[in-house]
Formats: sequence, structure tokens, C-alpha cells
Amino acid sequence: MIAIMIREFRTYFQTPVGYVFMGLFLLVAGFFFTFGNLLNNSSYFTSFLGNILFLYLFAVPLLTMRLLSEERRQRTDQLLLTSPITVVDIVLGKFLAAMLVFLVTLLVTALYAVVVGVFGDLAVWQTVGGYIGFILLGSSFISLGVLVSAVSENQVSAAFFTFFALLFIWFLNLVRTVAPVDPTSSTIFAAAIVLGLAGFFYANTRSWIASAVVVLLGAATIVALHLVHPRIFDGLIPDVLGWFSLLDRYDGFTLGLLKLQEVVFYLSFTSIFLFVTVRMVEKRRWA
Amino acid sequence: MIEVRNLTKRYGPHVAVDDVSFQVNKGEVVGFLGPNGAGKSTTMNILTGYLSATAGDVYVDGTNILEEPEAVKRRMGYLPESPPIYGEMTVREYLQFVCRIKKVPRNEVKDRIEQGLHRVGIAEVFNRLVGNLSKGYRQRVGLAQALMGNPDILILDEPTAGLDPKQIIEIRDLIRSLGADYTVILSSHILPEVSEICPRVMIINDGQIVADGDPTTLAGELFDASQVVITAVADEPTTRSAVSGLNGISRIEVLPASESGTTEMLIESEKNHDLRREIFEAFSRKSVPLIGLRVKNATLEEIFLELTSGVRGADVTEADA
Repeated sequence: MIAIMIREFRTYFQTPVGYVFMGLFLLVAGFFFTFGNLLNNSSYFTSFLGNILFLYLFAVPLLTMRLLSEERRQRTDQLLLTSPITVVDIVLGKFLAAMLVFLVTLLVTALYAVVVGVFGDLAVWQTVGGYIGFILLGSSFISLGVLVSAVSENQVSAAFFTFFALLFIWFLNLVRTVAPVDPTSSTIFAAAIVLGLAGFFYANTRSWIASAVVVLLGAATIVALHLVHPRIFDGLIPDVLGWFSLLDRYDGFTLGLLKLQEVVFYLSFTSIFLFVTVRMVEKRRWA
Repeated sequence: MIEVRNLTKRYGPHVAVDDVSFQVNKGEVVGFLGPNGAGKSTTMNILTGYLSATAGDVYVDGTNILEEPEAVKRRMGYLPESPPIYGEMTVREYLQFVCRIKKVPRNEVKDRIEQGLHRVGIAEVFNRLVGNLSKGYRQRVGLAQALMGNPDILILDEPTAGLDPKQIIEIRDLIRSLGADYTVILSSHILPEVSEICPRVMIINDGQIVADGDPTTLAGELFDASQVVITAVADEPTTRSAVSGLNGISRIEVLPASESGTTEMLIESEKNHDLRREIFEAFSRKSVPLIGLRVKNATLEEIFLELTSGVRGADVTEADA
């Protein structure tokens, strides 16, 4: 794992990717700091972190596009997978390398906080909270990028799809506020989830019976719940979308609130995406 | 040492490896021979744990590769069809990385790399970027990679593909020298290569092993003198009349002559009826100069072509059994 991480970290700076990432990130961050804090005489540092959140949209695809797709394209995955290391080592090593580049870059922006601290009043704990949230959010996005990279054939498509996945997460909040909450559409949504689940079962087991059982069980559950409590599905769509809303959860951190549940959410999101990545890489060997 | 039992690999409806079983003993050098797409690479990818088989098992000294992948992978060095190299690293950095993922103890890394460099002859490019090396050197770096983990089994997939003739000879010599210390399985679609390096050859076609043995025995077993090609310095009717008196000829076909003033003819006899001696005597009786007389399919090359193009597949299985 460490060997993979070190190699990957060095590759970032042996190819232009690392420099482009750092340059882009720090250029835009510097711009926002100069105009938001310095010229405005504002010592409100967490607003700076909030302002540069959108950078993830461009920076994460850049950071993660190569990670696994390039191994496969260059066929170096044959070396990794036939060596006495596990897929977990490979995926974690790659993820940590991307995190390391991200953290080093972020460390530079800590200088801005020092500038604010020297020349103004820096809300220290609020800033620390902001950074923790920022890093946790970053790890979630990077794990998503790692997964996309694992299922992409080349780095261009990996970057492209990561960008759109992130964009989708960005718009999730908007969708959530306009999503229908009435019982009919909520029930249809619940049915759609059941069908999706059945489709997933079929894709994995190729068994019509197993999928049919899922459909029947799901339908029975929906009907039963509906009979027990007719309005139980109200607001289901925004609620489900809310589970995936990474950005909403960041708001607390900018206020300096460090809520355990949000921390656990981000860490779970990261772990689940990395776990799925490991499964995808392993599954490929059975294809 | 390596035991493969009923190995099958399907890609959807396509069967890449079809119920293959074989054993390789310690110290053997075995060549997989077959046309492209015969299932050589797939078999090797399963042996090394890169792919999983649809059915069947691979054992190395009784250890199943699926049950203890790390233990088995430690004992194997693999050079895939395209060497798994990172272009942006130097040879030094690359081999150091390989040592780390092959779990080479830290204090041995230096020696291991040193030995590998000299064994495959890449010491002079040690500090160059792998991406800037020629195909021949890349192949050697790939080979050095396979040696790094100090394995006892080497699996080399088309180690000479894409090299120029001089490099091919060098790599062949190298592999022959490795054969003294390792159990080697290599694949190729070039017959002379395999018959030259490997004391044992397995001919693979359509995912099945169609022949298995040492190259000379294989050629002997599959030798069939029922088709003879002759070249005579005479016109066609004279040549025909010379052979007309012979018994057991089932077919005569005139081939395009390669020299002017000669006639080339394919004479087919009943199975396993060797006509060569009688043909020679018939021509000498008529004083027709016979300047060429050879058995078609005498070379392993031709046997291999026939085997893998399926023309005589059924016969071979019998001969092999």
C-alpha cells in the first residue's frame, strides 16, 4: 500500500498532472482570498473555504482520472495484480496518494489563514472546523473519482464522468427543493427503487427468480406500509436525495460546528466508494 | 510443481480456454505454441492470478492459487505480452518499486536489482527513463521485473514479440540461460523459437491442447510420408509416365515449377505407404533426373499449421493419445 502510494505520489510530479492541479487550485484560491478577504478587509476565513468549494468540480477529476484507468490502459495492472499484494492495497494506495497531493495543496492555503491571523482576528477553531470539513468533503469526492477511474477505459472518459458525477451532486440540492412530496409520486419513487434493486440483482445473479422475489417482496413492503400509514412515503424523494447531498452537510463546518454525524457520514461515504472500487477491480478478473 | 486441472475460461458465449489439464515439473522449460487467439495468454493470465477461471483449478506444489493467492504469487515472475512498465520512471525507480510490491526484504533490494541488471543486461540503461528505451530494452526491463521477486517459476508471454532478429536471438539465449535456474513456461506463435528453446512443447488451438511432447518426438509422431513432392528435369508427360507404373498412388497433382525445364509434382499415396524409395527407383530406371524429393509436412512448421488450422485435427488427437 505504501509502495503504491509513494509511486503514485511521485507520478503526479513526474507528469504535468500534479503541477496543473496545484497551480489551478492555488491560482483560483489565491484569487478568492485576495478579493474576498484581503481587499474586503474581511477576517471571515471560513467564507473563503466556502467560496472555493466549486474548485472540486475541476480539481478532483484532474486528480483521480489517471489513477486506475491508466494502469489498465498501459497494462501495468498485470504487474500489480500478479504481485503478492491485495486489491485493497492498490486502491487504498492510490486514494491516499491523491489525498496527499490534495492535502499538500491545502496546506499552502493555510498560509492565508496565518496572514489573516497576523493582520486581523482569526476565528481559530472555526477555521480548523472549516478545514476538517473541507478535507472530509474532499476525501468523499476523491473516493468517487477513484471509483469512476476504476470503471473507465481511459483517463479522458474518467475525468469527464467524474466531472458530471460531481456536477450531479452539486445540483442535487436544487433538485431536492423542487422534488415532489405528494404521496403518489413518492410511492412511484419507492417502486422505482425496488425495480432498480431487482435490476441490480439480475445483473449480478442472472437469475429471473431472485429478481422476481425482490420485486414481489418490495411491492409487498410498499403496500403493507401504505396500509399501515397512508402518508408514510411523503417527502421520500427529497429525503433520499438528501442522503447523497454532500454539500449540505458542509454548512455546519463553516459555522465551526463539528458534528459527529456529519463526520461519520463523510467517512462512510469514502469507505463505501473505496469498497465498491475494490469490488469492481476484483470483478473484472471474473469477466 | 504446477498442476492445472480442467481449466475453462469463458467470455460470454466464447470459450477461450476449454477444459485444459496439464502438469509442469520442477525445472522444466515448456513452450505454449499456438496461433494468436488460441488461448495462450488467457491460460497464462489465469496461472498468474491476473484472471480468474470460469472453472477448474491451478495448483502450485499443491497450493491452490485462489485459496492462497499471495503465497503462490510470491513464487511466480510474470512477463505479460506487453511489459508492464511505467514510462515516466527510470529503470532504477521501476525496479525498486517492483521489489517493494514483490515484498523483497529491504536489505536485499540492492543486491536483487544488481543481479537482475546483469542477468538481463540492462546495466547501461539503469538511469534512463523506461519510456525512452527501445522495444528490446523494455522487454529486458520487463524480464528483470519478473526476476525481482526471486521466484522459482517464470511465465513469459511472447517474450520475443515485436523484436528485431538480433534482439530475438539475444532474448532467446537469455531465456535458455534462465531455464537452468527456473521452471519456465513461455508462449509463442513462432515455431522455431519454441522448438529451439523448449524441451517440451504444448500446441494449443481453440483453447485446447492438441499436442504435448518434445519437439522431435512430436515431429516423429506426426510424420506422415503419404504426400511426396518431386522435382524432375523433364516435361510433364515424361514425369507422369515415370511414376505411372507405381502401385498405391491415389492422386497426382502437378505443381507450378519453380525452375524452368523442370516439373514439380505432388504424389499422394494411401495412408502410411511410403513411396519415396520406389519413386527414386522408377526415375532412375527411366533415366529421368530427379533433383528433388521431399515429404510434404516433414517440418514441424507444416505439422503445426495443419494442426492449428484444423485440417487434420482428428488424426492428431489419435496420434497423440
